Amino acid sequence: MHITDGYLSAEVSIGAGLIAAGALGLSLSKLNQTLSLRTVPLTGMMAAVIFAGQMIKFPLLAAPAYGHLLGGVLAAVVVGPWAGCVALALVLFLQMALFADGGWLAYGANVLNMGVVGALGGYAIYSFIRARVQGRKGIVAGAVIAAWTSVIAGSTLFCIEFALSHPDGSLDLSMLFTLMTSFHSLIGVGEALITGGIVSYILAVRPDLIQEPLSRRGAVAGLGRIVGTGAVAALAVAAFIAPFAAEGADGLEAVAQRLQFDALEWKPWAPLLSDYEVPIPGVDYSSGFWQKLSVSLAGVLGTSAVLCMTFAFGRFSKPRLADQDAGPSHAG
Amino acid sequence: MPADFLDRFSRGNTVCHRMPARLKIVLTLSVIFVSIVLPASYWPAQGCLACLVFAALSLAEIPIAYLARRILLILPLVLMTALAAPLSHGFASGWETAFGIVFRTLVAFLAALWLVNTTPFDRLLAGLCRLGMPRLFATLLAFVYRYLFVLFDELARMRTAQRARTFGPGPVKTAWKSRVQLVGTLLIRALDRAERVHGAMCARGWRGKMHSLN
Repeated sequence: MHITDGYLSAEVSIGAGLIAAGALGLSLSKLNQTLSLRTVPLTGMMAAVIFAGQMIKFPLLAAPAYGHLLGGVLAAVVVGPWAGCVALALVLFLQMALFADGGWLAYGANVLNMGVVGALGGYAIYSFIRARVQGRKGIVAGAVIAAWTSVIAGSTLFCIEFALSHPDGSLDLSMLFTLMTSFHSLIGVGEALITGGIVSYILAVRPDLIQEPLSRRGAVAGLGRIVGTGAVAALAVAAFIAPFAAEGADGLEAVAQRLQFDALEWKPWAPLLSDYEVPIPGVDYSSGFWQKLSVSLAGVLGTSAVLCMTFAFGRFSKPRLADQDAGPSHAG
Repeated sequence: MPADFLDRFSRGNTVCHRMPARLKIVLTLSVIFVSIVLPASYWPAQGCLACLVFAALSLAEIPIAYLARRILLILPLVLMTALAAPLSHGFASGWETAFGIVFRTLVAFLAALWLVNTTPFDRLLAGLCRLGMPRLFATLLAFVYRYLFVLFDELARMRTAQRARTFGPGPVKTAWKSRVQLVGTLLIRALDRAERVHGAMCARGWRGKMHSLN
């Protein structure tokens, strides 16, 4: 998941860095208002938990492969969106400065894709669902859906950054979308499973850590919540629409040409749109069918898996205070 | 936990290790920046950069087996991303973009490995502070680095206890359940610990600012 230096051009790295720095600065100032002296111990400890938690490997069905926690949504659900965003930024910095995981110039893009989208965007979706579904079910469903959506949104954002870095038309954006989305809808299912499991475990053992009202942790308020939910959901949906939209964009260009609107072309998106064109005439177009099929299949499978998980966790995360003595909370 | 399990090679004593941290950070960032800005057609310059970085790595006495292992680990992802360019042209063109991505990524990755493996984290942090990193962020990083060791110890204790009570990893579902409970318990304990640490910090006059000896 970490972007290493070399994928993105210098301009895109710097642009993403500026956006990430803005979000991080906002989060830090919000934290200092709400937590004041508690900022450092609480946020720092959360970051340390995610860093250590990522070392725990979850076996996949195919034996030699492992998955692990990413943690953006988990952090946001437990300590709130602002602290979660800062915690993710800290984790990413430590991974960069200790292991060289993720590039130094791409740090901003990494924070944007995982920290800002994962914690702030994920929390927006989580609180959107939690405000509508009552009780534990709402909390777990919100966390599961937010975890899956934020992974897809992060991968879509990476595709956009990658395409903006190579504006000379050497890349077919929809192909990249296909690869990344099929890959990340699987990662997203793992992340949703792990996040849902941990959240329902905490709800069973220490519900006081999660169940306080949303307003007490500096929740994303009114407009911010709507914008955040909309943006992340749009990014996630774009991942599955993109292969189909390629035709729509071509159609749009054809209409523009017919109406001679070429001069009105919206410049900032020009590199994106031009990537949709099929570069070589005479290539077998039928391959596009399988590409679209695989993306929609990944989307359908992922969505249904997440819905099943939501249902299952909602079913089984009943309060379990009675058997706490026997539970692993006393491990070690 | 041994004190150096996070940064194994960074406490050596070579020319590279003795260089001031600020100089190393500036050097590394400029090498990475130049390798990113260079167009793919300037591959001889890219090769010179790679030689430079490799010389620095061998001067720092970083084992080649470690470098090879790290490169092998990131190579599949790099190749997959790089292949997106020729793939979208039916493998007829776009190879230059792909090679550019692979070269740039490797040079930048090796340069970052050199910096990380010649500078212990505390000195890196002090250097970054003097280069203008915000104090609050640096304080947070120092706090996380300090408590990572505590949490890793806690995790190791819990894993030992879990292994002592079970016979094997069991089927996939059980393995997931036990790992989820491991992370969940770690989280709960860490948040309780954060409360205690906060109290202890306040008792020692914490006013939101860290004082350091550098």
